[in-house]
Amino acid sequence: MRFADAVEFALSSLRKRRLRTFLTASGVMIGIGALVSMISFGKGMQKNVTAAFESSDLFNTVMVMPGGPGSPSDDPDERGAVAEEAGPAEAGKKDAVLDDAAVAGIAKIPGVRSAYPDINFPALVSLEGEEEFRLIQVVPAAVAGSKAVGVKWGRPYASDDEEGVIVSRILIRRLGATDPAAAVGKTLRITSVTIDLGQILSGGLQGLLGGQGLPVSREAHDFPILGVIDTKPFGGGPSPMQNDVLIAPVPAGRIKRLPITSIWDLFRMKGGRLGYSAVSVKLGSLGDLETVRTRVREMGFTTFALADQFDEITKAFYFMDMILAAVGMIAIVVAALGIVNTMVMSILERFREIGVMKAVGAGDGDIRRIFFFESGAIGLAGGAAGCLLGWATSLLINRIVNFTLARQGVPFIDYFAFPFWLFLGAIGFSLLVSLVSGIYPARRAARVDPVVALRHD
Amino acid sequence: MSADPSLIVETRSLSRTYRVGDVRVAALADVTLAVPEGRFVAVTGASGSGKSTLLNLLGGLDTPSAGTIEVGGALVSAMDREALARYRRFVAGMIFQSFNLVAARTALENVELPLIFAGVDRKERRRRAAELLDKVGLAHRAAHRPPELSGGEQQRVAVARALANGPRLLLADEPTGNLDSRTSREIVGLLAGLNRESRLTVIMVSHEEALVREYAQEIVRLKDGRIVAAEGEA
Repeated sequence: MRFADAVEFALSSLRKRRLRTFLTASGVMIGIGALVSMISFGKGMQKNVTAAFESSDLFNTVMVMPGGPGSPSDDPDERGAVAEEAGPAEAGKKDAVLDDAAVAGIAKIPGVRSAYPDINFPALVSLEGEEEFRLIQVVPAAVAGSKAVGVKWGRPYASDDEEGVIVSRILIRRLGATDPAAAVGKTLRITSVTIDLGQILSGGLQGLLGGQGLPVSREAHDFPILGVIDTKPFGGGPSPMQNDVLIAPVPAGRIKRLPITSIWDLFRMKGGRLGYSAVSVKLGSLGDLETVRTRVREMGFTTFALADQFDEITKAFYFMDMILAAVGMIAIVVAALGIVNTMVMSILERFREIGVMKAVGAGDGDIRRIFFFESGAIGLAGGAAGCLLGWATSLLINRIVNFTLARQGVPFIDYFAFPFWLFLGAIGFSLLVSLVSGIYPARRAARVDPVVALRHD
Repeated sequence: MSADPSLIVETRSLSRTYRVGDVRVAALADVTLAVPEGRFVAVTGASGSGKSTLLNLLGGLDTPSAGTIEVGGALVSAMDREALARYRRFVAGMIFQSFNLVAARTALENVELPLIFAGVDRKERRRRAAELLDKVGLAHRAAHRPPELSGGEQQRVAVARALANGPRLLLADEPTGNLDSRTSREIVGLLAGLNRESRLTVIMVSHEEALVREYAQEIVRLKDGRIVAAEGEA
């Protein structure tokens, strides 16, 4: 029997049972559709996150933290930071403090483009009466003007001493202004909370822990809004736009502020000297990462580079893909059982026809091939339709989610990705599943005893 | 293997036993038969005498429990499934009481079936099928499907289909069982004509004594799975 004839046999018998063929193929379509949209969601997330990281220069950033190699990582507030292990040779510099001198030293290391302390302080911000509690981030002008920050409306501050702030679109919205462009030029009031540090240090921690309470005072400063940053989806990361208010170092210095973000920072003060909790170091190129990291460690600090974490991120996405695929697989298994069921029904109905074909000279292989091609055709049609379904589903979800999020100021994001291989792979996989589903029915059809089949009514 | 080259079919001590639950039923027992090439043989007997079982064995649809079948020098009883399929395709053509045409396919397409399994290309098999339909007098009904054809016409299509790959043996299992007496005579006359004109060996199972006596050159009578009498020119 020729290949084309077997295909013709399969298609004509599928045509004869239109409704059942359609329903069975629909099962495959839903299964493949689920799988395709799941995987494309996973790929879309990966693409968006990777693109966000790459566009924000984050791979070129190394975070430097105090607590030299060997000291216990005692800060639960450090976001996901994994302290680098280091050799015993550097144990002598345990007490290095991350102060301005250290920052200047780091900035001089070859390969470092800029180094600036990562300073955050909590404050109340208000715009025309509305109030929000936020962390204010001190960022030098060089960084504020870079594409990593990306001021969209207005402009960044031009120098480290210019009076003014950069705020995020989300904060603007929260403070009641809908148009980010109109917010430029308005006045943002920053009310800081301060503690008399001297009092704490002279009284020791016992006074603090003894329930006397913190000697707190409030102080308000007004700054014009110079620029507004558009909201960056998936933009979360160690630096630099993790906060909603950015301010230049000099005006920030005038604000009496609580120089800590958590109580843990109090324990980190070494001999009364207070260092920064972290310093962001920008590299000229990623190739300098190793040398810069070695030098910084020699100075007695810990480093954290996002580039190191990228393998971990990739692994995490791989894992996520597996979970999404597993969910899709459940639908595929159900669809496969549907094919087996349809094919077995088909054998029972065509029992006599199988007998006739055998009587006129069809071999086991011919019969097997006809049934095999039948289930393959179901899989192929269902797979192709499933790709379309998955694609249509993603369009619909994109629309709904983006419509909802647009009201919160989030720009349009394509949550799905459809690489070419996904379509080809899905159709190929569907064909494979349907052929595997066809094995048992095809074998069973081939084993039909013609004498019994011809006697059958 | 065959002792006599003029014999086309030779069976020795052919038996077929079925198992029905725990009971073994002998449908055919110890049948030894020799059919010379070009003969028209009729097999008669009451229902359940083993006529159809014998024909199914000769047609390669069934395999014997004991004994041997030799057709045209080949030991059919020793063939595997694939060889049996080839045997049915090229050596033994069969027709049945209930015609056994594929209802969804036209007369022409039904005749094409054995040619498809023989791997003949589309153009050639169309031509051969049309020729065969013409031979059985149905050229004008080629595009009709079996439900649109009369019983006699359907059986003619079945005959054309049985002849598709040029078999050496035509096996007919009660070919007139579903037909009126006039049509029955036409069909058996068609078989007799094929037998006469192309020296095609025909083995026909029938219990219509009058037809059998008129056309068959040899009559084999079966009872309870055994040959009770063989009469004719042998």
